[in-house]
Amino acid sequence: MVSESARMSSAAEARFRIQTPPPTNRAVKMIDLDAASDSDVMRVIGEIDDTDLVLMVVRAGGNTAAVSAIGTACSDLRVMTHTVVIRDAASSDAALSKTLGEVRPWSLMVVVVGRRDYVDDILRSFR
Amino acid sequence: MLRNEQNELLTRTGPDTPFGNMFRCYWIPALLAGELPANDCPPVRVKLLSERLIAFRDTEGRYGLMDEFCAHRGVSLWFGRNEECGLRCSYHGWKYDVTGQCMDMPNEPEHSAFAKKVKLKSYPLVERGGVLWTYMGPPEQQPPLPEYEFAMVPAAQSYTSKRLQECNWLQAMEGGIDSSHVSFLHRGDINTDPLFKGSRGNQYNLGDLRPVFEVVESAGGLFIGARRNAENGHYYWRITQWVMPSFTMIPPRGNHAVHGHFWIPIDDENCWAWSFDYHPTRTLTDAELSAMRDGKGIHARVDANFRPLANKDNDYLMNRAAQKAGTTYSGIEGFAMQDASIQESMGPIVDRTKETLVSTDSGIIMARQRLLRAITAFAQQGVTPPGVTLEHQRVRSAAIVLPPDQPFKDAAREALIAHPGVAPASV
Repeated sequence: MVSESARMSSAAEARFRIQTPPPTNRAVKMIDLDAASDSDVMRVIGEIDDTDLVLMVVRAGGNTAAVSAIGTACSDLRVMTHTVVIRDAASSDAALSKTLGEVRPWSLMVVVVGRRDYVDDILRSFR
Repeated sequence: MLRNEQNELLTRTGPDTPFGNMFRCYWIPALLAGELPANDCPPVRVKLLSERLIAFRDTEGRYGLMDEFCAHRGVSLWFGRNEECGLRCSYHGWKYDVTGQCMDMPNEPEHSAFAKKVKLKSYPLVERGGVLWTYMGPPEQQPPLPEYEFAMVPAAQSYTSKRLQECNWLQAMEGGIDSSHVSFLHRGDINTDPLFKGSRGNQYNLGDLRPVFEVVESAGGLFIGARRNAENGHYYWRITQWVMPSFTMIPPRGNHAVHGHFWIPIDDENCWAWSFDYHPTRTLTDAELSAMRDGKGIHARVDANFRPLANKDNDYLMNRAAQKAGTTYSGIEGFAMQDASIQESMGPIVDRTKETLVSTDSGIIMARQRLLRAITAFAQQGVTPPGVTLEHQRVRSAAIVLPPDQPFKDAAREALIAHPGVAPASV
């Protein structure tokens, strides 16, 4: 007799899985710290209340001045913070280390990538 | 989540598929050396990357891996006679050497030259570190033999097993780089399994159930750092290695052996979970080897065909009482089958268009994106993918306590490289 686990993990049974993805209505705010103006930062902080995830993007050695303000606001409202550090060919190892030290206290996830287009892939992964 | 076409690209590894072509750039584990224990021993059926093959060891100890079926009438050579430096089909006596070259056709005229024109597709099969490795790509692009440290240390310092996992290779491999599941699925075993218990790192693991992650691209794949709180404001870092396409290495604990996996597609709905344990500086003890053979740690108890004794046909020996008592978190016993049961329940090939990923899945997200880029670069420009180069293979995982301002990529730089004879960085 076929067990429940064997039957339910078969390809034949896979077609009975509910096809509609569960809704998430996840609200993600993305901010490019190198390009953001003070007003951009204030706008993001003002919108955090309605946000599930704040994604900060910064070059290695880039401008991290706003990280603590955004991070504090997210921490107060229990919002996830995710920082992507772009290490391009021109970035020094020391610059990357410095940036990591600056973003780490305010980021619950840090990803270091070599290309900026990874940011779009990461955003697309968060349905 | 992935788009459907991306999921198809990453999960199909048969001949002439984009990822199948790229997977064939690498040496991959094919068999345990013990599966062909002696010259002229019985041949073994092998399926890899959706190709049916037969492995044998000839009279002079040479290994062969070739098309399973006789060129004459398509009979399986598993029924063949392994004798006098060749594998002879039991149907009409056609005989092949380890390169797949037909040596003899007894049903053709004596001294006929036709046999020389018949050659089965074959691949090199080479022993290293107790594993028989094969390379299934174009011969002119064959890279040097792999140099993963577990396969390079003396035999007494290493132990390798394999088990069948009945799902696509990618969902199995993604478990190997998903550090956040350890605090849940494996919670019951960290302090009790003989190959894990007793390390200081375990207390950090169990004391901080919300690790914070840093994922850093490496030359060959990714470093996946999970940090937990330690004493005096310091962080306990566990750094997992992923080397493309399917090698993962788990951070060590105390003076236990270091372990990791290879995830190798059998076909698109089954894979081999290869599991290794080794110590860079000491021999494994009898007690450790006994525990590994008994399915402890990351190993599993298997039958003669390497199918786990706890499998989907017996509901993985689910024990609801143990689940209730907290002895195990999921009710399934052992790290290996805890992972396999969960991953097989996702179905033969999980539909990634319906996932709801979160930030702690960033290691998985990055691994997929690196694979997708490498597949495209290889298909369009012939770019050799990461992980082929030996330097990418000479790596280690690490566990280390650091001050809060110190990046693991700096502090653990040397610890993440395999230095022969040097102890691993472990807590």
